[in-house]
Amino acid sequence: MFLDSLAMIALAYIFGFLYYGLYRNISARVHGRFGPSLAQSFFDSIKLFLKENSTNFGWMFYAGPIIMMIGAITTLLFIPYLNGSEHLVGLSQYGNLILVLYLMVLEPLGNAMGIGSNGNPFGVMGITRGLTRLIGLELPFYIAAIGLMIANHSADIGVIMTNQSEGYNAFTHPLLFIGAFISFLGFMGKSPFDVVGAPQEVYSGPATEFSGKFFAIALSQSAIFSFAKLLLMVNLFLGGAQSLVELVAKTFVLFLVAVLVGNVYARFTTAQSVEFLVRVPTGIALVGLLFV
Amino acid sequence: MIEFLKKHYEIVEKAPRLYKLQIESDKLVEILSSVSINSNFITLSQIACTDWIEDEVFALNYILTTKERDKNLMVEVRISRVHCSLPTLLNLYPQAQVMERDLHEMYGINFRGNDTLYDFALENWNEIPPLRREFDTLAYVNEHFDFRIGREDNKDVKAEVKRRKAQAKESKDGK
Amino acid sequence: MPENTQEGFIDQQKVLDNEEYSIKNTQSIIQKAVDWFRARSMFVLAYGTGCGAIEMPPIFTSRYDIERLGVVGVATPRQADILIVSGYCSYKTLKRVIRSYEQMNEPKYVIGLGSCTINGGMYWDSYNTIKKLDEYLPVDMYINGCMPRPEALIEGFVKLQDNIRNAKSEAGYIQYRENNAFYRANQEKIFGKNTTPTFEENFAGMNQ
Repeated sequence: MFLDSLAMIALAYIFGFLYYGLYRNISARVHGRFGPSLAQSFFDSIKLFLKENSTNFGWMFYAGPIIMMIGAITTLLFIPYLNGSEHLVGLSQYGNLILVLYLMVLEPLGNAMGIGSNGNPFGVMGITRGLTRLIGLELPFYIAAIGLMIANHSADIGVIMTNQSEGYNAFTHPLLFIGAFISFLGFMGKSPFDVVGAPQEVYSGPATEFSGKFFAIALSQSAIFSFAKLLLMVNLFLGGAQSLVELVAKTFVLFLVAVLVGNVYARFTTAQSVEFLVRVPTGIALVGLLFV
Repeated sequence: MIEFLKKHYEIVEKAPRLYKLQIESDKLVEILSSVSINSNFITLSQIACTDWIEDEVFALNYILTTKERDKNLMVEVRISRVHCSLPTLLNLYPQAQVMERDLHEMYGINFRGNDTLYDFALENWNEIPPLRREFDTLAYVNEHFDFRIGREDNKDVKAEVKRRKAQAKESKDGK
Repeated sequence: MPENTQEGFIDQQKVLDNEEYSIKNTQSIIQKAVDWFRARSMFVLAYGTGCGAIEMPPIFTSRYDIERLGVVGVATPRQADILIVSGYCSYKTLKRVIRSYEQMNEPKYVIGLGSCTINGGMYWDSYNTIKKLDEYLPVDMYINGCMPRPEALIEGFVKLQDNIRNAKSEAGYIQYRENNAFYRANQEKIFGKNTTPTFEENFAGMNQ
C-alpha cells in the first residue's frame, strides 16, 4: 500500500505539472504565441527547490505550505485512480466522499495560517478573498455531492464510480453536473474566479512572501491538488476510468474546458464571483437535487 | 469673463487665448482669490519659475486655466533671490502643495504656511538647490562621479549630422 | 578575475570572450545540471526606473513572446531571479533598486538596460543620476542602446542564459557577497548614513 500511495503521488505530481505546462502552452496559443515548452513547469519547480531561502517569519510561516501539501496529498490518497482496479487505490477503502470534501478545505486553511504569520498586506488580502470565494465554491459542490450520495445510497467514491456503468452521472444528473462543474472551474483557480492571486490587484496574493523552497512546495501542492480535483470530477461524474490512458483522456478533456473558459472570460471581482456562484450554480444544483 | 478682469487689472494679451498679469508678491493671495471667484480661471495648472540671476530675481508664473480649458492666464510674481519667500496657495488650490514642494526643493523658495517642504525627489541633498543658476552642474558631476573610459572620445556629432544630411539631400536632388 | 576598477567593465568583457578563463571545466556534473535549470527558468522582477520601462512589456506580448525561453514576470522580489534596471537611476530610485536587489534570494542576476546604466547616457552631466550602475550593484549583463529594442533585450536574455549555463564568469551575486565592502562604500558615498542596513544591523534589530 505504501508503494501504491507513492505511485499515486508521483503520478499526480507529474500529471499536475504537465497539465500546468499544457495550460501555459494552450493559453499562449490562444494569445497567438508559441509559449514555453511542456516541461517548463518542472524546470521552474526544480529551480525554485535549488534557490536559497532568506526570509524568516517564524515556524508558523513555514508550516503553512507544509500543511497545504499535506492537505493536497491526503485528498489525493482518498480518491481511487481507477475503476475496479486493485492498484492505485491508496487509502480510498477507508474513506468516503464526505472525508474528501472535508480535506479539500485544508489547503486554504494551511495557506491562511502561513500568510497570517508573515503580515504581508497583499497576502492577507489574497487569502481573505480566497476564503470569501470558498463559501461560494463549496455550496454548489456540496449540493451536487449530496445529490449523488442520495442517488447512489452511498458516500463511497468507489460505489458511485461503479454505479455509472449504464450511463455517466454527467448525463443522468446533468443539472448536478453543471452546478458542480462551474464550482470546479473556481476550484481550479482560473478565470473568471481567479480572485485570489489576481496579479493586477494583489500582486501574487497569498504567495507574495513565499520564496525559494517554500514557494516550490506551494507550486507542487497546487499541481497535485489540481490533479486530485480533476480525478474527483472524473470519478463522480464521468464514470471513472478503466485504464490510465482513459483516465488521462478524461481528465484532459475536463482540464481543456477549464483552460479555455479561463482564457475567454475576464475576472470577476470577489463580490461578483460569490454572488454568481451562490445564484447560478447553486440554483442549478438545487433544482438538480429535486430531480434526484 | 476675461473682460471683467481686464476692467480691474492690467491684463496683457500675450498670444491668442494666453493672458498675462503682473502683480506684487504681497498681493498674491488677494488677487488670485479674487480671480478665482470672479472669473472662470479656476484651475492652477502649474507654477513655473525662472531664475533671472542678472536682475537678482525669481519670476514665478502661476498659470491658471479656465474651466473649459480654452484660455490660460499667467500671473507673474517677482521676488528677490536672496530672501525668497511667498505665502502658500494651499487654501485656494490643494494641488499647489506638490508644486510648492518641488519649487522649494529645486530653487529654495520658502512657502509660508506649507508644512510639507521636506525632501521630495532629491533625497539627502546637501548642496545649494540644483536649479539655481549659481549651481555649477558640470563641476558637481566632475567632482562626484568618475566616468567610464570611452566617454572622452565622445565627439560633437552635430557638424557630422549636418554634413551627412546635406550630402543626402544633394544626392537626392542629383537624381 | 577582473577587479572592479575604472577598466573593470572592459576587462570583464575580455574574460567572457576568452575560453581559457572559463570556469566550466572545473565544475562537477551536478553543478552543471543545476546551472542548466537556472538558465532554463528565469523569473524577472522588472524595475521601471526610466524610459526603458516602456520597452519591457512588449517582450511578453505575442510578437516577441519571451515566455518560450522560460522567462516570466513576477510581482515580488522574493521569487525573482533577475532584476532588470531599465534606464537611468536617480539617487532616490537607486536606493529602492538596491533594497529590491537585497530582498531577492540567491542566485540572482542583474540586467542593466540602456546606455544610462552603462555610462549615464544622455544624463551624463545630470547632478542627480548615477553614471555607472556596476559601482553599486553587480551587473551581469549590459544591454546598450538608447533605447534598446525588445529584440536587443531578448538577445541579452539569451546571452545571459548562455553565461549561466556555461558558467562563463563568476555570477554577480557572488561578487556582491565577497566584495560587499566595495559596493557598500560606493553606496554610502552618495547616500551617506541613510543607506540600506547591513546584515549585522538587520540581525541586531531582529533580536531586540
